[in-house]
Amino acid sequence: MTIFELYRQMGLLVGLPVAILAGLGAVLIVVPRDWRAVLFGYAMLSVMLSLLLSRVLPIEWALLQTIVGGLIAVMIFLSAGELRNVSRRQIRWSERWPQMASLTSFRLIATTLAAIAYYILRDRVTLPGVQPLFRDTIVWLAMMGVLGLALHTEPMHAGLSLLTLLGGFELLLFTLVQGRLVVGLMMSLQLMLGLAIAYLVLSHGLAPTVKAEAADLADFAQ
Amino acid sequence: MITGPALLLALLLVGAALIYLLRRMEAIAAISAAALATIIAIGLWKLPTAMPVRLAGRTVWLGRPLEWNGLSLVLTPAAQALLVYLLLTGAIAFILGWRTYQGRTFYPFGLVLLACWATVALLQPLLIAPFVIVLASIVAIFLIQAGRPGNTRGAWYQLLFPTLAVPFFLIAAWYINLAPLNPDDLAPYRIAGWLLVIGFILLLQPAPLAVAVPAIAGHAPPVVAVFLWIGGQAVTLFLLQRFLVTYPWMAATVDSARWLLWLGVLTAVLGGLLAAVQDRLGRLLGYAGVFDYGILLVAMALRGTAGLPTAVWLLLTRTLALLTFALGAAALRHYMESDRFDRLAGAASRLPWAVAALLAGGLALVGMPLSAQFASRWALLQLLAENDTRWVLLISLGGCGVLIGVIRAGRACFGSLSESEVERESFGIAALAFTLVLVSVLLGVFPQLLTGPVAAVIMPLSILGP
Repeated sequence: MTIFELYRQMGLLVGLPVAILAGLGAVLIVVPRDWRAVLFGYAMLSVMLSLLLSRVLPIEWALLQTIVGGLIAVMIFLSAGELRNVSRRQIRWSERWPQMASLTSFRLIATTLAAIAYYILRDRVTLPGVQPLFRDTIVWLAMMGVLGLALHTEPMHAGLSLLTLLGGFELLLFTLVQGRLVVGLMMSLQLMLGLAIAYLVLSHGLAPTVKAEAADLADFAQ
Repeated sequence: MITGPALLLALLLVGAALIYLLRRMEAIAAISAAALATIIAIGLWKLPTAMPVRLAGRTVWLGRPLEWNGLSLVLTPAAQALLVYLLLTGAIAFILGWRTYQGRTFYPFGLVLLACWATVALLQPLLIAPFVIVLASIVAIFLIQAGRPGNTRGAWYQLLFPTLAVPFFLIAAWYINLAPLNPDDLAPYRIAGWLLVIGFILLLQPAPLAVAVPAIAGHAPPVVAVFLWIGGQAVTLFLLQRFLVTYPWMAATVDSARWLLWLGVLTAVLGGLLAAVQDRLGRLLGYAGVFDYGILLVAMALRGTAGLPTAVWLLLTRTLALLTFALGAAALRHYMESDRFDRLAGAASRLPWAVAALLAGGLALVGMPLSAQFASRWALLQLLAENDTRWVLLISLGGCGVLIGVIRAGRACFGSLSESEVERESFGIAALAFTLVLVSVLLGVFPQLLTGPVAAVIMPLSILGP
């Protein structure tokens, strides 16, 4: 048995747990403030998406999702690493990166409410040619992606929420269309978005440092 | 044999790479970028597309498609006109950017952006084009941030909406492919039509989605911001026109003219009213741009009548108005070290031509007499009044808002200087401002000067194919 065959059979065998773990990964992207938890959530989501995609795509193509997700996680990790080093210097905890637009408890409550809405509404959603497990995963990922985009202004959380939304869309698209060109374009799009998000994370995260340095200079001048 | 699209993209991308290496010598980088864009524009305009020509010992056929893996890039006459317009706008923006200190990366990244827009204009199948718009947005965020840490809202919105649009186009493509299997069933066309409409709303970003424009204007260098709007909006509207011609059922199934009209009027009114209450030049430029964009959408909605020539006419005059306003705003922001109204007092005494450009550009965006936009706006309002006079009143209300904003900005520039160390404007800025104001007034007095260029574009636009 080749590793590709093993991968496919694993995807077939553990469909529901994989979908649950993908959903959990999306929750980890939306709720916690800590960037390590968020990146772990995204990495988990990418692997689970890849396993799910192996049901509808050739394994080699489905594995691209893991590779692309991994590269994006590395890019954002490098940005976060830079900011972690910077934010250790004389900046209060509340001003350190990442600064959030809402409290973690609020995001948790919002996610819980979204879960209740999902439980009630998921059977009413009809998607063409999509099996129920995929439909449930798509709906949950879309809900979490939209919730993340609504709750976050910080580029890492908002950007990964956007990628979560695109992940849900990929499940739908690749169920309907299995073309090499479309798969390649979607994966390239995600990779380029990852690059842009990593840049914005750095650009946004360095702002408090610049402000703090300006304040220091002003104090020094006085 | 070298195909036209391959030559075009290669020149832009190789030029961008070389200019990136020269970016520290800003004058050389800016002039090279402007010269390259101008030469390509002249080449596109002058060289024939229907037959091969010899260029530097090589055979070049501009009209021959570049094909790869089911994708093709085809230089149609309409795309040719759009590219000439974009390249010349780019060349002017590079020169303005150089004199108003818009950031050294503007020139190479600007050329890359032009290459992305060119790809959107040439690419077939159409349903893949939104991917390239996202790619252009990704390039644009580096220009918006300009290497400065801080607010990322503008860059984020620039990226977000086109990315959200891509899924709608791809699912619509699936429905479009499905439809011929059962010709009696019109449901796939209807669903695809709605998906395309949602996709285009996300790409066009009318109100209330028009958050990117003011956010970008508040943070990005003004000339860069204006360059992004002019190019991005023109390319998206061109893509919409290509869709409407390629998929005629789209207009029939969802009455696209009607939603475009409503969204255009809403955008113009909201943009105009919000422009009246801004207290920064950047934000004023942003909301005045939103107002003007709403009017362009209205012209596109009327394309069934005489709207299309008016839309092309508006596109040309708004370019001049936006660039003039941006030049004034950029110069004021640079010399006064702020664009807040309460920090601009006395600017008129030190930067008279920058203030003149600001006022001339602002009044042109309102559509005042003796400005470049007056005749085109007047023509549009007459067309609109034939449909419903209430739309005209609403647009005039938006125009009043922009006028109030421009008057407030102008008033802020007079009075005595709060800081005596403000430098006088450079000769370069004064000369550029004078030229733009003069051209604006000339086009206001002799609008027939644009008849030739507009007529040259109309026929190819109305028949452009898939």
